[in-house]
Amino acid sequence: MKRIFVIGYVALLLVPFAYAQQQSTPAPPPGEPQVPEQQPGASRSTPPGQAVVPVPVPIAPPKPNGPVQKSLVRITATSVEPDYRAPWNAGGLQRGVGAGFVINGNRIMTNAHVVANSRYITVERDGDPNKYPAKVQFIANDCDLALITVSAPDFFKNMVPLKFGGIPALESTVSAYGYPIGGERMSVTTGIVSRIDFQLYTHSSIDQHLTIQISAQINPGNSGGPVMQDAKVVGVAFQGYSGDVAQGVAYMIPTPVIDRFLKDISNGHYDEYPDLAITYAKLQNPAQRRFLGLKDDDRGVLVSSVIAAGPSDGILRPGDVLLVVDGHPIASDANVELNGEQAQFEEVVERKFRGDSVKFDILRDKQPMTVTIKLYKPWPYSLQGHSYDVRPRYVLYGGLLFQPLNLDMLEAYRFTDLRLRHFFEYFILEQIYLQHPDVIVLSNILPDPINSYLAPYRGEIVDEINGKKIRTLDELAEAFAQAPERIVIRMIGEGPPLVLDRDKVAAARERIKTRYNVLQEQNLEEKPASGLASTGR
Amino acid sequence: MFRQSFIAFSIVLLATSGALAKKEPAVPSAAAKQKQLALVRVNVTGQSYDYFRPWQKKAPFSKRALGAVLPKGRVLVTADLVANQNYVELERAESGEKTAANVRVIDYEANLALLEPTEKSFLDGIKPLEITSDTVVGDRLAAWQLEPTGALLATEGLVTTVQMTPYPIDIGQFLTYRISIPMQYRENSYTVPLVKNNKLAGLLLRYDSRSQLLDAIPAPIITHFLKEADTQDYRGFPSAGFSFFPTRDPQLREFAGEKSKGGVYVTNVEPGTPAMKAGLQVGDIVTGIGNHELDENGNYVDPLYGKIEFTNLLTAHAYAGDAVPFHIQRGGKPMQLNLTLEHRDAKDYVSPPYNLDQAPRYSVVGGLIFQELSRQYLKEWGPNWQREAPQRLVYFDHFQSELFPERNRRIVILSQVLPANSTIGYDDLAYLTVTKVNGKEVKSLDDLAEAVKHPIEGFIKIETEEDPKQIELDASQVAAEAPALQENYGISSLQRLQ
Repeated sequence: MKRIFVIGYVALLLVPFAYAQQQSTPAPPPGEPQVPEQQPGASRSTPPGQAVVPVPVPIAPPKPNGPVQKSLVRITATSVEPDYRAPWNAGGLQRGVGAGFVINGNRIMTNAHVVANSRYITVERDGDPNKYPAKVQFIANDCDLALITVSAPDFFKNMVPLKFGGIPALESTVSAYGYPIGGERMSVTTGIVSRIDFQLYTHSSIDQHLTIQISAQINPGNSGGPVMQDAKVVGVAFQGYSGDVAQGVAYMIPTPVIDRFLKDISNGHYDEYPDLAITYAKLQNPAQRRFLGLKDDDRGVLVSSVIAAGPSDGILRPGDVLLVVDGHPIASDANVELNGEQAQFEEVVERKFRGDSVKFDILRDKQPMTVTIKLYKPWPYSLQGHSYDVRPRYVLYGGLLFQPLNLDMLEAYRFTDLRLRHFFEYFILEQIYLQHPDVIVLSNILPDPINSYLAPYRGEIVDEINGKKIRTLDELAEAFAQAPERIVIRMIGEGPPLVLDRDKVAAARERIKTRYNVLQEQNLEEKPASGLASTGR
Repeated sequence: MFRQSFIAFSIVLLATSGALAKKEPAVPSAAAKQKQLALVRVNVTGQSYDYFRPWQKKAPFSKRALGAVLPKGRVLVTADLVANQNYVELERAESGEKTAANVRVIDYEANLALLEPTEKSFLDGIKPLEITSDTVVGDRLAAWQLEPTGALLATEGLVTTVQMTPYPIDIGQFLTYRISIPMQYRENSYTVPLVKNNKLAGLLLRYDSRSQLLDAIPAPIITHFLKEADTQDYRGFPSAGFSFFPTRDPQLREFAGEKSKGGVYVTNVEPGTPAMKAGLQVGDIVTGIGNHELDENGNYVDPLYGKIEFTNLLTAHAYAGDAVPFHIQRGGKPMQLNLTLEHRDAKDYVSPPYNLDQAPRYSVVGGLIFQELSRQYLKEWGPNWQREAPQRLVYFDHFQSELFPERNRRIVILSQVLPANSTIGYDDLAYLTVTKVNGKEVKSLDDLAEAVKHPIEGFIKIETEEDPKQIELDASQVAAEAPALQENYGISSLQRLQ
């Protein structure tokens, strides 16, 4: 399920465990000054000078879970973070540490954020001084899971693959294993299952999935480590609140999400989560229920919006009441019962794959109907989430840098412009993507005599060039390539057009490239940034 | 220790002697001090409206300030001081004698107000201040304050810049003196007159104690205000109704066919404004106003101040009703348009920029509170309202002329929900824009109040621009619950449309 960006969400502070610094979570209101967080990678080594209280390193894990050291690995990933402010550059190097564990088929499971954007990965195991190079096999940024593998033939020989369990009961005890700050060797902490709920996965910062909250102490470096009960993996530790917001609140990815990921990749390709692409409202008001012709049975939710780019378009309408999903009655607070657990009704859709269908019993204009929706992932959401393992798209022309609006770019520039923020937040809800599949922003200007007076245009959105509407970055590049002598760029909103003289731009080209060390003037394709990662895109 | 205190003492001495040595004409002479100062204390008690609970007013505030005594028994203060006042009192500085006063004219945009004592003889014996409009950069002005005893406290400062800046209400820009001055805090520092040669040169607009910079409402704006105040109906400062952009960029100039020098590019002409009526168009280059030529940034050469933005010609020099010749270039051809300037009232905006001394309009329907969007409402989020108020509403306010080109409407919002039986399940709704009620389009609170009276099959159906898109109430339940709702939440009246 995608989170729809609506202004007014309370910003909580969640930290994926591999992050060393805070990052504000639910839909970081664009433009809000963000702590320049160290990018996903994993825990940094303890800063020199920090007082480290010597605490005895746990020597053996609790017995019930068996010798977990035989399954656990320490992952060190060196990654390259794309530089959205100078997108022609490779980006900054980061190194981080996370955990992983061996599962069947000689594979190592970890979090996507441990290995996202990675260029080189090594793994280490208990009692072996070697560092083994590893490669990403599959990465699922929307549910923060990844599989990596080690090519060294003997690596898996003495390793014990872990098995998965189900959803642990509330209040039952679980143990988390990993390599958090505080020492070099494996650490184990225990806690109880506190809550089972939908939560935002901060790695993509748009996807919400089932999550289990545990009270075990979990810190940067625990990321990707197994959380176990009765010798079985019941979750993968992945995010939590930073200590100054809430303590003893940590989250793990539960096995339904893990199972789904493993099933999704069984065809050799990660297809990502499909989504209904609707918004809905709970139906708890008695008058509203009567108005809609509903019985007094506490069932049904109201469809508020149907996104045209999604699979429900043309099937569901605003004003429809969803009553039953695949045979599970939907309560008026949007919950269904799944295997004896209460869950939001989207969980039924969550467990499906691209191309699967979901059936709804609905009430439309007081008439019962049944509809079937064939699922896929609607593309516009990707703008509002973080992207990994891709090179930013951009066009540089006359020293003017044009970039499509997305979360990474917005955070890089910290734009506070009202219009940009509106386009970002209402990209889907107001169907802005229909007119502007790419919202092309004049994001930066590399000063040169030909653009001396153009600074006021910075942060504006391109509407048309020489009378032609510009919908995508490709069209922008094309318009520049085919430009007549005088290029007239109209921006959205009031303001004069931005006028460029083609020949002057051509004359300034080499000068700008040299002065600012621009290696490449455009990148139109969001192609993978390295050969290591298979992103499933 | 001893040494330290000694040093401190010597510094004080130096400072004092410095001030004595630099005695300038700006500080009134000993002779002037003997006379009655043309200053009165102004004590104001007021109450702002509470936009979050629009049926009530906030807790009373009181402010103490100074007023400058002007001819014809009038006292000049800032509008800020007396906005939302309940009671204004004048107090003679030297005797402490008090009388009630009325606000005769108030201009929120220029931040000026004229008070009149109810007792006509109250100001007798005070020689009113004359106004001097010849202040230029480099002049020294004295800020007049009063000591608790009623004695004058004068501080001298240097006029560093004369420029156009936005005033607190933020409609257009007005001429402003910027003065570098180390002001001392007195409890009556709210309105402080600035004086040159015993004549009024300006009134304190704002002061930044860290940089010790004071912005003052200058005499030309005060004179304009006073002249207009003498007319039967106070109309306010005029505006033209267009926005502009510099034409520094040679590529833009060439595109616009502008071959000569100077001029600004017209980027927007608001419907119904003098600019629109005179036929000004987007893309026109305004090259001159009256006898003044504009440079590429929109500045003209003022005889007193040198280069300053042309809007000063419209605000300080022109009056509503004046016809002002605009020299423009359209497609490279020179033309002249005559703009008959008008004052644009706050109510002529879709989201009114201010609403003071007037109760906010609202309507409570079964616990749902409906209000009209205004900047006054958004300012309820405090000084950082532009960041902290609901961003969608800030967006509507900011881009109102672009988003709602038809001017005769309001944006009705469901601002909050008071939990009640009829609003169960709606408690979390807030800041939604209302499009229709019972199938009828809603472009004002009046539309809403009328539409609510006609339920559909017993239901009041409210449609919103944002999710959840539709909200229904049981009309009979709403009516039945109304007394309890008023009682519970202390709502004196369920709606105010006046």
